[in-house]
Amino acid sequence: MNTNNNVYTVIYTSIVVVIVAAVLAFVASKLGPAQDANAKAETLRQMMSAAGIKPTEELYAAKNAEILQLYADNIEEAYTIGLDGEKNGELSISQDKIELVSKLKPQHKAILAEGDATLPVYIFKGGIAVIPIYGAGLWGPVWGYIAFCPDCYTIAGAFFDHESETPGLGAKIKDEAWFREKFIGKTVEWGETPAFRLEKNVEATGATNAVDAITGATMTSKGLNEALNIWFKAYEKHFGLGAFFNMLEGLSEAETVNDNEEE
Amino acid sequence: MEYISLFVKSIFVDNMIFAYFLGMCSYLAVSKNVKTANGLGLAVIFVLLCTLPLNWLLNTYVLQPGALQWLGPQFAEVDLSFLSFIVFIAVIAAFVQLVEMIVEKFLPSLYSSLGIYLPLIAVNCAILGGSLFMQQRDFTGIGEPLVYALGSGIGWYLAIVALAAIREKMSYCNVPKPLKGIGITFITVGLMGMAFMIFMGIQL
Amino acid sequence: MAQKLKETILNPILKGNPITVLVLGICSALAVTVQLKGALVMALSVIAVTGLSSLVCSLLRNTIPNRVRIIVQLVVVAMMVILVDQILKAGEGTYAIDKQLSVYIGLIITNCIVMGRIEAFALGNKPIPSLLDGIANGLGYGLILVVVAFFRELLGSGTLFGFRVLPEAYVPNNLVILPPFALILLGCIIWVHRAIDKDLQEN
Repeated sequence: MNTNNNVYTVIYTSIVVVIVAAVLAFVASKLGPAQDANAKAETLRQMMSAAGIKPTEELYAAKNAEILQLYADNIEEAYTIGLDGEKNGELSISQDKIELVSKLKPQHKAILAEGDATLPVYIFKGGIAVIPIYGAGLWGPVWGYIAFCPDCYTIAGAFFDHESETPGLGAKIKDEAWFREKFIGKTVEWGETPAFRLEKNVEATGATNAVDAITGATMTSKGLNEALNIWFKAYEKHFGLGAFFNMLEGLSEAETVNDNEEE
Repeated sequence: MEYISLFVKSIFVDNMIFAYFLGMCSYLAVSKNVKTANGLGLAVIFVLLCTLPLNWLLNTYVLQPGALQWLGPQFAEVDLSFLSFIVFIAVIAAFVQLVEMIVEKFLPSLYSSLGIYLPLIAVNCAILGGSLFMQQRDFTGIGEPLVYALGSGIGWYLAIVALAAIREKMSYCNVPKPLKGIGITFITVGLMGMAFMIFMGIQL
Repeated sequence: MAQKLKETILNPILKGNPITVLVLGICSALAVTVQLKGALVMALSVIAVTGLSSLVCSLLRNTIPNRVRIIVQLVVVAMMVILVDQILKAGEGTYAIDKQLSVYIGLIITNCIVMGRIEAFALGNKPIPSLLDGIANGLGYGLILVVVAFFRELLGSGTLFGFRVLPEAYVPNNLVILPPFALILLGCIIWVHRAIDKDLQEN
C-alpha cells in the first residue's frame, strides 16, 4: 500500500481523528461524575474550613463521602441573592443533592458589570453565614470563603485559595494558618468604602476592619484586598440590613433592661 | 490604556522564557548565533500572532462550557473544554506547516539555516502555552488576544536574541571544560531570569 | 538481543539522559520542581505518556502517511496527555495536585522528550523496545526532576514531601523557590555529570 497516496492520507487522518475523539469522549463521560464530585468536595472543604466546622487538616484528610455528610449535618439553609440584596433562589441542602454556586468567575464578572448575579449565602448551624470572594491575584485568580458570626458583621473564619501565586510568598494566603486566623474577630464595615482593609501596617491603627498584608506578597495581598472589597460591596445590601437589625435588636434589648432597672 | 499595559506586561512581566520557562528547548538549541536566533524569533512571533487569536475564537465559540449556545439553546450545557489541548495543537501544527512552506519558497537561506527547528516550532511550549494561558485569562474581544500574542512573541524574541548575543561573546571566555556549551548556558539563562524578575509586579 | 534491550533501558538514565545530555523537556523540569510531590506526579505522568505514545506510534509506524507524520504523532501524544489529565482530575487524592500542575500537564504534549523519542526511536523500532525506550527516558527525566526538586524544596521551604525536615531556625531561602535558581541548579548538575563522565564534554 502506498502510504503517500493522497486518498490514503485523507482516509487515514479521518479515521485517527474519529477514533481519538471517540476514546476521549467516552473517558470524559465516564470520569465526569468523579471529577465533579472532587470539585464539589473541594468547595465544601474550603467553606467548612472557613466556618470552623472542623480543623482544616481534618477536612483535607477526610474522604469525599464524609465531607458531603458533614455538610448535610451542619448546614441549615442555603440560598442565592441578587445585587439588590433580595433572595432570588434556593440551593438544595439535602445530602444526595447538594447545590452550590461553585463557578465564581462568572459571578465576579456579573458583579463588575452590575448585571444579574446569583450570589450564594450558606448558613450553617449556629447562625454562621459563609460567602465566597473571588478576584485576580498576581499570576492568576485568588478566591476564598468568609464566615460571619450571627451578628452579620464579625468575621468567624476565613479560607483562601489561589491558582498560581508564588510559592513561599503569595501562596501563603493558603498555606499559612496564621494568615487565616488573623481574620477571626475582625469586622466588616458594611456600607463603608473600603469595607475592609488588607494593607500594609494597618493593624497598628487599631481599626477592627483591618489585617496586615503579607510581607513580600504585596501584589497578591492587593489582589485579595480588591477581591474582598468587591464582593463585600456586592453583599452589602443583604448583610448590611442583617447587621442593622441585629444592632437594633441589641439596642432595644438594652433599653428594656434599662427601663426595668429604673423601675 | 488597557492595550498598552497588556502589551508591555506580556513582553517583560509575563515573558514566556523568563517568567514561565516555556519554549526552552529550541531557545537553548538555536541561540548559538544571533542570525539564526533572529530568524527563529521572528517565526515564533508570526506563529503566535496567527494561532493565539484563532484559538481564542475557537475557545469562546466552540470549546468553553456553554459556548455552543449560538447554535441553539439546547446546547447550553455542552462542555467541550476537554478537547482544548487537541484543538489548539492541531491549529498550531497546521500553521507551522504553512509557515514552513512559505519560508521554503521565499527565504531559502533562512530555511536551510533553521533546519529541523522550523517544524519544531509546532512543539514549542511557548506557542501552546500562550494559548493555554489565554484560555485561563478570559480576554474580552479579539483585540486583547492579538495584543497578548504580539507581546508574548516579542518577549520570546528579545530573550533569544539577547542570549545568542551573550553566547557569541562567551566563546572568547575561559569556561571550564565540563561547563562548556550547555552547562554555562543554563547558568547564564538563570542569571538573566533573575534580572528579569525586577519587572515582577509592575503596575501600568 | 538482551544486550540491546539492556542498553535501551539503561542509556537514558545517565549517559543519554534526556534533560542533561539531550537538552529536552527543560520547560517542565523548571516549573514543577518547587516541591517533591509535584515533581513526582509530573515524572510519573511523563513516563506514562512517553511509554504509551511510543508504543502506539511504533505499532502504527508502517501505516502513517509521511506528509501528516508530525500531526498524527501530536494527536496520539495529545490523546495520552488528556487521558492522564482526566484520570488525575477524577482521583480523590490526585485532584488537588492536578489543579496545581494544570497548565504544565497540558504542556507534556509539547515536551520535546516525547516527540523526540517517537521520531528518533519509535518510528524505526518494534513496539516492545519502543515502550521500554519511552519508559526509560521518562525515568531519566524523572530522576533529574526529583534531584532538582529535592534541593529546591529542602532549601526553599525546609521541608521534604511537606514534612518539616530542617529545624525551625532555618530561614527558608526564597531565591531557591524562584525559577531562575532551577536553571542554575541544572547547570551545576550538568557540570558535575560531565566532570565525572569526560566523554560528554564539548570541545
